[in-house]
Amino acid sequence: MKILLGIALLIFLAGILYRGRSWFSQGIQPTGQPQSPASRIPTALRGLGATLASTDLLVLGKTLITDVLLQKRLLAKSVRRWLAHSLIFVGFLLLLFMHGLGTGVSEFFFPSYYSTLQPFLTLRNVFGLLVLVGLAISLHRRLTDKPQRVKSLASDWLALTFVATIIISGFLLEGVKISSFDAYQAMVDDYGDVADEAEELALETYWAAEQGLVPVNAVKPYDSALVEAGREISSRSCTECHAPATGAFVSFSVAKVIGPLASALGDGGVVTVLFTLHLLSCLALLAWLPFSKMFHVISVPVSLLINGVLGFKKDPAEPANTLTRQMIGLSACTHCGACSELCSALMFYESFQNDFILPSEKVQLLKKVAAGQPVDRATLTHLQKGLYICTSCDRCSTVCPSGINLRELFVSARYYLLGRGIPETSLLSHFSFPLALARRFADEHLQALKKLHELFNQRFRKLADLSGLSLASTPASVGTDSYRSCYTCQRCTNICPVVRLYDDPVEHLDLLPHQIIYSLGIGNRELAMGARMIWSCSTCYLCQEHCPNQVELTDIFYRLKNAAIKTIDSGGTA
Amino acid sequence: MKLAFFQGCNIPIRIEQYAVSTQAVLQRFGVELAVVPEFTCCGYPVRNVDEESYIMPSVRNLAIAEKMGLDIMVICNCCFASLQKARSVLAGDPQLAGKINQLLAKEDLHYTGTGEVKHFLTVLHEDIGVEEIKNQLVNQFSGLDLAVILGCHILRPREVTQFDDSFVPAITDDLVRLTGATCLDWQGRLECCGAALAGLNNEVADRLLNEKINGARAAGAAFMVPICSYCHLQFDTNQLQVRAGGPDYETLPVLLYPQLLGLCLGIDEKILGIEQNNTVNDRVLDQLRDLLGPPVEDKKKKRRSAKTGTTHE
Repeated sequence: MKILLGIALLIFLAGILYRGRSWFSQGIQPTGQPQSPASRIPTALRGLGATLASTDLLVLGKTLITDVLLQKRLLAKSVRRWLAHSLIFVGFLLLLFMHGLGTGVSEFFFPSYYSTLQPFLTLRNVFGLLVLVGLAISLHRRLTDKPQRVKSLASDWLALTFVATIIISGFLLEGVKISSFDAYQAMVDDYGDVADEAEELALETYWAAEQGLVPVNAVKPYDSALVEAGREISSRSCTECHAPATGAFVSFSVAKVIGPLASALGDGGVVTVLFTLHLLSCLALLAWLPFSKMFHVISVPVSLLINGVLGFKKDPAEPANTLTRQMIGLSACTHCGACSELCSALMFYESFQNDFILPSEKVQLLKKVAAGQPVDRATLTHLQKGLYICTSCDRCSTVCPSGINLRELFVSARYYLLGRGIPETSLLSHFSFPLALARRFADEHLQALKKLHELFNQRFRKLADLSGLSLASTPASVGTDSYRSCYTCQRCTNICPVVRLYDDPVEHLDLLPHQIIYSLGIGNRELAMGARMIWSCSTCYLCQEHCPNQVELTDIFYRLKNAAIKTIDSGGTA
Repeated sequence: MKLAFFQGCNIPIRIEQYAVSTQAVLQRFGVELAVVPEFTCCGYPVRNVDEESYIMPSVRNLAIAEKMGLDIMVICNCCFASLQKARSVLAGDPQLAGKINQLLAKEDLHYTGTGEVKHFLTVLHEDIGVEEIKNQLVNQFSGLDLAVILGCHILRPREVTQFDDSFVPAITDDLVRLTGATCLDWQGRLECCGAALAGLNNEVADRLLNEKINGARAAGAAFMVPICSYCHLQFDTNQLQVRAGGPDYETLPVLLYPQLLGLCLGIDEKILGIEQNNTVNDRVLDQLRDLLGPPVEDKKKKRRSAKTGTTHE
């Protein structure tokens, strides 16, 4: 057993080192030189030192209490989630300290500690029950939350299973030990002050009647005189170290239910099996922790403390620390889905059917991207689109219970992926507006727009490229046929504030508003789709409002933009 | 009166003072605003990409308000237009309504179209009324010239937005005038701030923005008063970047309408968040305070306007 514990501890420590190293060696960086751990660790320490030496220390202390220990952010998100987490967190931590780390720790705090005496006997059951109730709430939430946009991954279930196995095997073990005659007999042999077989039977009868033992010799109905005699013997032999087993109220009930079954199977064996299961699941969790979402027990406090001091609203100052915080954040994501539930782009996820529109799902893939693991081009293209279909409302960063700076992560990821050269048509949407306001990576943004522009030039022919215009046999499809009422009065063009900006508007816009309507009139939608006019339209609706024939110009321009983007997205064949 | 407060994506994170000052003002008139965390984006940003994806989120937001039994009140013009557009599209397209409702059923939501969408200016102008607002004024401005930019998507297309006369809008002028400030008639009042092109065609966006700033300045405006949140961000954030070129450039400061009205109602300027406007500094704030005083006699004013036969400035 000691060897197994040693192995588990070694794996745990190696894992912690590995994850800790990744905080300082990996990250998603759109521009600039990659920085080595040798430079990032000192920078991080300098930042930490500056924080500790300033009044931010108070903020750190406050964050530790409100965010880390009391989980205020989770409470703000949902009382149910907070309750589930707190029950598991408190219950498991107390079990770990009082029971898991051995008697040494408990005796240090409570000199009178003895695991089978009160109040410790009952407390252990209370703590275990807290965890079980917390697990049940989590399970219920995962199964019944509607609609299930955030899917539970295998790792999510595995984490719940590990914790559940530890607690349930613990209760079963204690229950079977209560009912086990083998265990009882061993104790009597060692400590029992019994003179003869009659006393032995009395003691056994008492333990069977009142302490959950599944007896071998005593038979029902128990003779009350025997029980009383047994109680007498028990009080001089056992009570000093054994509070009544009923105190372990969960395990005692378990003993009642499974005791006879264990007895039939041979309870000595069952105890060994359960003990092994309990211990192995504890060791397995220990070894698995650094490599799983359970690493959050280490990374989330760090992430919350950083967030408490820095927040997410200020633009990052130190690139090395930004990258380190990003990695800590990625390792702190528990895939709880709180961000996705409140995501402003929720309905775009429904219409585009792209998982990566949901922030929680972006993060799962970005973990791989940051670690430099291979991701195929199709998935990356999908991820890039998901990163752009985002309103930059920052609700995800506001609600994240782990305090991850998702704003920074997503901005970095956007421009990192764009740098890989995959064109992104969603740049041509108003999602670009907040990006333009923030003016971060402005050059990269312009480069990506230029690439799109070239793509449009390759795909769509301009009027000058055509030898002549002819009337098409089918009318242009733009969601309305109001363009057919146009009698080319040019009022639209004359009132257009964009046309007015230029001395030579055709040079800059290819086609003027009335010419776009004209090209639709002769059935040439392609020509209209390729005109720069539609991407220069400010959507002010002045043309549409002033059109004497109710041609829905601005609405039509929107449809043309939709069609042009679909054409480019489908490789130019739509 | 209780309304579901639709703030959109920009206001809570970038223009919080717009929401807070609106709430403070409406509270004075007994209007209760319910904040609804379940509301999502209105759909506007995706309209260039896909029309149906643009309509869907607004339908969901409308269905949420319907379920709460509340009408929606909006402060962002683009959100307002999206919600109104969704209502008008679905009224004429039962097939699309059915399709979206099928999707909404997953969350126990259903859109019927019974809820109304109101712009906050309509709430002030129609539901509360100019006279009632006047009765509560404790201060008024004098000598304050403002360039209001209404924002395109609140006015046009008029069949969809149904807000005001799209050619000769009057609601905003009425509301500004009751604060004692002058609502300048300036070129660009009904035109585009350039926001719809920012980030995808910066050249045109910046030229449109500069045109408006120059137009307002030429008309003698002391402040720009944008109604739309996108316009606000253009003037209060992008102005500082686009026009940051010369050291001589003097920023045209921005004031939001509920901040203006709030000052006249005696609400603390800290609550109204005037200093949170990026373009407002101490000097500007001092100038604004200097122009604020007790309300002038209303009767005289009325008589004067009766004589000249017009209610416009």
